[in-house]
Amino acid sequence: MNIIEVKNLIKTYPEPGNITKSFNAVDGVTFNIKIGEIYGILGPNGAGKTTTLEMLEGLKDISSGSALIDGLDVINNSFKIKEIIGVQLQTNEYFDSLSLTELLILFGKLYSQKIDSKSLLEKVSLIEKLNAKPNELSGGQKQRFSIACALVNHPKVLFLDEPTTGLDPQAKRNLWNLVQELNVGGMTIVLTTHNMEEAESLCNRIAIMDEGKIIAEDTPQGLIDKYASEPTPETLKGNLEDVFLALTDHKLRD
Amino acid sequence: MFTSKQIHLAKVFLKIFLRDRQSIIFNLLFPLIFMGAFIFSGGEPDPINLGLVNNSNNSISQDFSELVSKDPLFNITKGEESDLKKQLFMGDQTAIIIIPETFNSIENTAEIKILLDASQVRQIGTIREAIDKSLLSIERQLRNTEPMFVIKLEDVKSRPQRYIDFLLPGILAFMLMNLSIAGSGFNIVEYRRRGILKRLFVTPIKPKDFIISIVVSRIAIILMQLSVILGLAIVLLDIKILGSFFSLFGMIVIGSFIFLCLGFCFGSIAKTQESIRPIVTLFTFPQLVLSGVFFPINLLPEIIQPIAYTLPLSVVASGLRDIANEGLSLLMFNLNSLGLILWIILSFVAATKLFIWKEVAG
Repeated sequence: MNIIEVKNLIKTYPEPGNITKSFNAVDGVTFNIKIGEIYGILGPNGAGKTTTLEMLEGLKDISSGSALIDGLDVINNSFKIKEIIGVQLQTNEYFDSLSLTELLILFGKLYSQKIDSKSLLEKVSLIEKLNAKPNELSGGQKQRFSIACALVNHPKVLFLDEPTTGLDPQAKRNLWNLVQELNVGGMTIVLTTHNMEEAESLCNRIAIMDEGKIIAEDTPQGLIDKYASEPTPETLKGNLEDVFLALTDHKLRD
Repeated sequence: MFTSKQIHLAKVFLKIFLRDRQSIIFNLLFPLIFMGAFIFSGGEPDPINLGLVNNSNNSISQDFSELVSKDPLFNITKGEESDLKKQLFMGDQTAIIIIPETFNSIENTAEIKILLDASQVRQIGTIREAIDKSLLSIERQLRNTEPMFVIKLEDVKSRPQRYIDFLLPGILAFMLMNLSIAGSGFNIVEYRRRGILKRLFVTPIKPKDFIISIVVSRIAIILMQLSVILGLAIVLLDIKILGSFFSLFGMIVIGSFIFLCLGFCFGSIAKTQESIRPIVTLFTFPQLVLSGVFFPINLLPEIIQPIAYTLPLSVVASGLRDIANEGLSLLMFNLNSLGLILWIILSFVAATKLFIWKEVAG
């Protein structure tokens, strides 16, 4: 059963430098996500991954198309949807003068929920930091704390926007384990990334986006079978990174 | 009246603001320095430094120089013309009075020469007037004549009104304007820049909850900060508040509300940390001059007065002054109350129209 159904989603912006013209940052995207899936949206910078996510989260208006989360139309029910989703944004800054415990209690209050801050911090392996301030945390700890904040309302769907960008390999693995644990508990997880290894080892299914469109969607293995070049006698068949580069070409995208 | 979400959020903001010790201290510093200057100067203008050269050594000129020396308006240094001239050039003296040799009879008109530093030209009028006035009274004393007229100033309100009594409500109003705008406008821009607004926006919180909690917590902080200043002014400067403290604090709450709402407007309009500063300066600076903080509005050119009277800082400062100096109550309605009500409505409507979560958090 699908928990997210997205159909022909479009986000239009005025073109930078020429406001009379417009362009579609997200250009007719359609996908469904099943309950309990880890769904990855893969793509180079500027492909429209974050914009797609932000439309689903209610942060950005939808220009056209439709999106349902748990049967609720995103356009008309953004407030109700906020109650059932958890969000980790790319920027994860918080009020500096509050401790992690105080911040979690605050977020709980915003959902009108009493929370057990200790068990939340335990879940993300930050129990020893319960009185620390956010700016005292390392990059990986900050990301884990962001996830703890996103979990205060026991969300049905958890959105993670590039959760491992800038993390060292250890912190990355640690975060993958956390995502997998949450998923085992039944949570649907939607994440964006440009880390191929992450997409390959973590996601049940992947959509590859480029220039606002989904150009391929399948399981990691399915994509490798379909797009990766055949192995030469000396080398292995290739990995998902080869798929990604084959599809989005090798040009730098900053 | 408030939801538990709003109360909790307000408490959190209060905690955040109170933990920012540096900003609390520095916000108190300006009015404290200002009041300190008043305490040390006694609130009175400094005496004018005058050099006195007595070229005529007789009893009349002796009496004259003695009387001038006693005048509290002047700080007299007696000496030789050449020495005093040097001091005048150095700026230690404002002017030098030279008593001529011919100053020997109370019947003749003697010419008293006054040497001035032309760079002090701004003060010439004042000095001349002061010297004229005191020479006249000295003349009367020397000639033993009674003045024909005396002017007796009688305050019909029959209570002492010093400049500092006028100034304090203005300073409080100016302080609450700055604290409020910094508390809402600058905070919003900062929270947006750091993505904190965006993070709050993905939770089920309404803009109303956010605005109310910021306003409530900021008003609490402003009341604390202004109470410190008011308390010190009462103890150290012997300021008398003629109206009730309830009215005074009520007016502070109203004023803070207006400026917090206006701050939300500026924070919503300004897209960056760099642009909020000029926007706020454009709003606050003219008001510092035009809103009767340091001197009454009726001293301004007549053409500006109607505009000056309607500025938000003017209505808040007049409101505070009416209570502190005139003993009015918050509930007494006058033309100024109308201005307050208009600004409350205008600022609140503008804030709710301009503060659109999606765009401000963007």
